[in-house]
Amino acid sequence: MTDPSRKYRWLLLITSLLTILYLVTAAVRENYLAEWRVVQRDYRQILRQKATDDRGRELSGKFREELKQVSVPALNVVDRCVGCHNGIDDPRMKDQPQPHRSHPGDILVKHPVDRFGCTVCHHGQGLATTYSDAKAEDVFWDYPLLPAELTEATCAACHTADKLPADQIPLLRAGAQLYRDKSCGSCHKLGGKGGTLGPALDNEGAKTKHQLIMAALRPPHTTWNWHEAHFRDPSGVVADSQMRNPTVTRKEALALTAFMLAQWKRDIPESYLAPDKIEQKYQAIHPTPLSGELVYREYCQGCHGNGTYGRWDKIFKRFIPAIRGRGFVAAASREYLEANIRQGRPGTQMPAWDRRAGGLLPDEIAAVITYLKTGAPASEKLATMSVRGDVTRGHILFLKSCAGCHGAGGRGGVAPEIGNPVFRQTATDEFIIRTIRHGRTGTAMPAFQRPEASVLGDQEIADLLAFVRSLAPAPSAAVSQNNNPPLPSGAQR
Amino acid sequence: MATAPREFIENLRHLPQTVKDAWFRLGKAPESEREESQATFHNLFLHIHSVRVHVRTLKPTLTLGLGIMATSAFLITVITGALLMVYYKPSTDLAYQSIKDIHFTVSTGRFMRNIHRWAAQLMVLAVLLHMARVFFTSSYKKPREFNWVVGLGLLVMTLALSFTGYLLPWDQLAYWAITIGSNIANSPRELTDAIGVTTWMDPGGFQKRLLLGANFVGQDALIRFYVLHVFVLPAALVVLLSVHFWRIRKDGGMARPEDPMGGLAEWGGELKPVFEPVATKTYGLMALVRGKRATVNRGPENTVMSWPHLFWAELAVFMVTVAVTLILSYYSDAPLKELANPAIPENPAKAPWYFLGLQELVSYSAFMGGLLIPVIVLFGLALIPFLDRRPGGEGRWFGTPGERPVAVKSLFFSLAVTVGMLALTVNYGWLRNWFPGIHQLWIILINPGSLLVLIFAAWSLYVLQRQDSVRHAAVGLFICFLVSFTILTYFATVHRGPNWKFFWWPSQWPVH
Repeated sequence: MTDPSRKYRWLLLITSLLTILYLVTAAVRENYLAEWRVVQRDYRQILRQKATDDRGRELSGKFREELKQVSVPALNVVDRCVGCHNGIDDPRMKDQPQPHRSHPGDILVKHPVDRFGCTVCHHGQGLATTYSDAKAEDVFWDYPLLPAELTEATCAACHTADKLPADQIPLLRAGAQLYRDKSCGSCHKLGGKGGTLGPALDNEGAKTKHQLIMAALRPPHTTWNWHEAHFRDPSGVVADSQMRNPTVTRKEALALTAFMLAQWKRDIPESYLAPDKIEQKYQAIHPTPLSGELVYREYCQGCHGNGTYGRWDKIFKRFIPAIRGRGFVAAASREYLEANIRQGRPGTQMPAWDRRAGGLLPDEIAAVITYLKTGAPASEKLATMSVRGDVTRGHILFLKSCAGCHGAGGRGGVAPEIGNPVFRQTATDEFIIRTIRHGRTGTAMPAFQRPEASVLGDQEIADLLAFVRSLAPAPSAAVSQNNNPPLPSGAQR
Repeated sequence: MATAPREFIENLRHLPQTVKDAWFRLGKAPESEREESQATFHNLFLHIHSVRVHVRTLKPTLTLGLGIMATSAFLITVITGALLMVYYKPSTDLAYQSIKDIHFTVSTGRFMRNIHRWAAQLMVLAVLLHMARVFFTSSYKKPREFNWVVGLGLLVMTLALSFTGYLLPWDQLAYWAITIGSNIANSPRELTDAIGVTTWMDPGGFQKRLLLGANFVGQDALIRFYVLHVFVLPAALVVLLSVHFWRIRKDGGMARPEDPMGGLAEWGGELKPVFEPVATKTYGLMALVRGKRATVNRGPENTVMSWPHLFWAELAVFMVTVAVTLILSYYSDAPLKELANPAIPENPAKAPWYFLGLQELVSYSAFMGGLLIPVIVLFGLALIPFLDRRPGGEGRWFGTPGERPVAVKSLFFSLAVTVGMLALTVNYGWLRNWFPGIHQLWIILINPGSLLVLIFAAWSLYVLQRQDSVRHAAVGLFICFLVSFTILTYFATVHRGPNWKFFWWPSQWPVH
């Protein structure tokens, strides 16, 4: 006779033993062997060794093995880093290995741990109690621990970079300078100013790794690795990127990375901000206009180069015109230039730079036009055109001589789109005639009436003008004036 | 000295003994069967069991212990859940950090949370398998029809409990899974949109708002899910569970085949006929039988005392559940992603695993996958015991004659159909790709999900016709359901990546 519950009793015994085994092991692992406890036991030993005077002995006697954290509600910070970095503010621990070592430099003098916490500067998961969780590189946490060299990026949360000593924030300084030198503003907006071809960068530092395409990046997939790789080869990291390779060295890429990580609109209480940061915020609302040359270097140079030569852009698949060529600036009126800058050129990559679009102030647009015109010879008076043009003949001529580049009907091809509304409305007859006659210096647009060989006669140019005008009405007075309505109140950014 | 003080002192002296007697009323381990019966029915927690239990019930292969396992898992989640409630704060500002605190600073908090999570997963799995077990052993048949329906209620309750618990950590996983889940609730809108009546009648939007308390997943949704998760659903589940247990008792214990007239002499040992009626003889009130007990006109009951045998078995299954949960919890942490961020969608955003099959169907048609098909499936399951009323096979795996081949054929059939349908959809797209201008009603009507249901229904009718057995038709349909559920769940888990596109492996996803 067998006992029907015999096997169940065996099963019960085995599973009960397993249960007890795992309960006990887990209790030991979670408590006695918790990482911070082990570290603190270590630290206690070090404290004892270092206790050479009464004060040291008192400190070592008072040391408790307990969970420690810095809570700063104003910054929304609870940092448990001090649970392992026990010697962070003890200068005697300079020679100890991590995590016992004291904080380098005198930064903690001005930024006491109990007022700032740790993660405001270093990022990482302050709530964690183990090193790998705090570092947070492979765990689910938005902002993993910054590498030491990039930590300076977070200084910009409360300071303006140009007011800090250069030796403390070398990368940030270099990055800001590179951003201007490489004319990144031609395509990217920062602080409300810049082109609209690329994404705005005001909150780039706030991006998490999930907002960046990591597929082509070798691990570790951190935002700073992404930025560095991306600055060295944009289209290698983002397959269909339109961004031109900024051609930077590794060091420069790192500097730009630091600058990008610093772009973060963090909500930090005013009492934490350096006075110059508050000044910067004021400046953002009440900007002082830049000089024409600076505007050109920061916002135009990225595409137009120094402006004296036109070039074929492989990524844009389009000619970028020379806008400081002598012939052009001599022929183009201020109104024409202003309209093109303010409204952009529809159908091309040239964006609008109006205050509501690219963010340039009216004064800055005026200044950059003046800058474009520097060095242009005083325009000679154009001989009046005594002949009247004929649209039909003009059309035939256009198809024969112009459509190859400008496209049939002026739709644009390798050369600018003549049919686009801004051009049609703002280009004066004089500008068109002059451009056809003399061509555009530094671009592929040839002169059609050269002294040595005149391709087109006055009559033919008049025909062409008539055709171009037939695409559109003559310049309306309204456009060449400052006709942008005032911004609605509150629309300023 | 008066008697009362003396009595008082005497009572005080005997206090340990009397308290012990009050607690352990028997005073010792039960020795006779009578005492064993008393041990069973004098205890609130044990008296729901019958005093004696059939030996078949104790065979591990009959039930696989799945019901007890699900109940044990529920008990574990209740206990660990109460512990977690001590630290958890159901507010969108505090929830995430309170989970982090449980993980990092509460002593063994991480372990408790892991146990809670693993027990919950185990419970869902055990409930599903338990349903399959009951079906395949024909245990839903008369008089157990009602208990089968109660069991379905428990299944829904279990899924709802697990789903509501999903949101509480308020991390990215939770946020986007619930967003998907609430959009599934919103799915009738596909139909109302298609026929253009959403403005007047919007049951989908109503369901979603009822679930979330708003048009988006926010504080209102969190507090709703919290209340459902920690109070409403557990309370309802306990009530339903009590009914479920009580019905087992009232329906005569576990389903089992009738004992043969001859019966078994005693449990275990060699099977011996106790009584072989001779055809030519007329029997009076009594007949001689071998063995210890005499019964009239039937074999001996083949029962053993519940105390201790059944209780050993139940305790063992309980401890198996505990041990499995502990081991899983020791090695694998419950997931916790980044803080919920409505600005950064998870891509792909996936529902909890047991809803992934549904999510795959929803990707074909929200209305079909999110509402009609689940309703059809639940109704179909509930109707099984009322449509299959021919007795036979109770308590045996694939117990009716010819059932096994039907089951095997159905397995291969549904495997081929489901895999084929997925392959077709992945490789060639569906109506929208072929006829871009088509009206949405056509897609609601004809999509891989609705076609699967139709094909399986047709298969079941074919089996019904061919085998001339409702049971066999039901077996065919049930296997089709199980297989497609499993494959769709697997497919959506492994092979669906960002934008719900097909990938062989998650490692090939373009964005991580």
